[in-house]
Amino acid sequence: MIMIAYYVITAFLLVLVGWNFVGEKKSRNDLVLYLLVMIPLLLRLLRVK
Amino acid sequence: MKREALVKMVLAAAFLGLVLWGGLPLFRHRHFDVPVIKGPGVTSVFRLSELSPRLKGTAGDTYVYALQGKEPGGKALLMGDTHANEPEGMLSALIVIENAVVEKGTLFVIPFFNNSASRNTRPGDGYPLYFDVATDWGAERFRFGNRDASPLDQWPDPDVYIHYPDRQLLSFIDVRNTNRTWPGRPAGPLMERVTFGAMELMRREKIDVAVDIHGAETMFPVTNCIVAPEKSVKIATLAALTVKATEGFESHVEPSPAGFRGLSHREIGDYSETMPFLLEAPIPFLDQPTGPKTTKFLLDGKDPFLLSLSKKKKLFVPYDETGWPLEKRVGQNLSVALEILRQFTKKSAAKPIILRGVPRYADVVKNGVGRYLMNPAKAPAGAVVMN
Repeated sequence: MIMIAYYVITAFLLVLVGWNFVGEKKSRNDLVLYLLVMIPLLLRLLRVK
Repeated sequence: MKREALVKMVLAAAFLGLVLWGGLPLFRHRHFDVPVIKGPGVTSVFRLSELSPRLKGTAGDTYVYALQGKEPGGKALLMGDTHANEPEGMLSALIVIENAVVEKGTLFVIPFFNNSASRNTRPGDGYPLYFDVATDWGAERFRFGNRDASPLDQWPDPDVYIHYPDRQLLSFIDVRNTNRTWPGRPAGPLMERVTFGAMELMRREKIDVAVDIHGAETMFPVTNCIVAPEKSVKIATLAALTVKATEGFESHVEPSPAGFRGLSHREIGDYSETMPFLLEAPIPFLDQPTGPKTTKFLLDGKDPFLLSLSKKKKLFVPYDETGWPLEKRVGQNLSVALEILRQFTKKSAAKPIILRGVPRYADVVKNGVGRYLMNPAKAPAGAVVMN
């Protein structure tokens, strides 16, 4: 149950960061940082690592 | 298309490329299966979830191989890959499964005890994902795992692992360590369900002897030894003395500490009638002050930094230019395990455990580990179990 909750939280954070990535208009640095933050979240959701 | 959208698409594509580049090898490693051939002595194969039902369908479930003798006798359990970065235990178990014939008694073997850990890795330490063992029919490939189960299978970790049932506070990471989660419980965290399954096997089958095979650093004092609690120490001592006298290698006896909970050599004895033994063969690969963690180093155990430390008497085992190769480690495990069974049989004449076909130390050192691994391509139909 706790594990499922953590996956839900991970998905929520991924959507949140992805939304910021799509909405970012000015800073390319921020774009790259958003993507880097998404790597572990995506890998966990895909059950790779 | 706007320039801004183009930049985002290029960056997102690079990001996906990075995820695939880093993720695919880990994904393939997690799903790589090792063929295990049911040798002449294997009479049945079942899953641990038959004894711990809440393991069913999880990565904690693993195969148990039963080798029932023609005549009744005592019962023993052999476990490898409790720590999946100590592969000499798993290889010793495979050699038994593929070669042993039990004449009296019954032997149960679990080669990938922490199946989840065997599909995990430790990239921060530069662990290789696989290693190959040379055989007469080519190289056989094995997963190289980690000490702990994958967080993909048991997540999140607690801040502190409160051991069940003693409530001793252990490191958070030990909740994924199947040598801290004994005796386990049927609905606990996944690794407790694994150890509970093994405890149920020992209790229901009335297993007399359990041997948990590990490897330990050369700089760690509990290495090259048999760890035994009070009830097992007599047999352990006789086994240690016998292998030293007859086969010429050291494997001293270490007492199992009563105050350190969760370990197989402690909890199995306390929560069942079984006599537990934990074998430690030195594995230089696990030491920290070494060169790169290559598969060659994993197999030959040769390292210039350890050699230097050995000359300064900083190691707990003899160490020279010959390193501590896999053959020696597996050979030691097999000889000590066989000797424990022999000493048990001498002590308990009504419950003999007698097997043949398993090589001993000198055989494995001379011929190599691969000589005793069967070729899955030549195995009879239905004899290969993918683990």
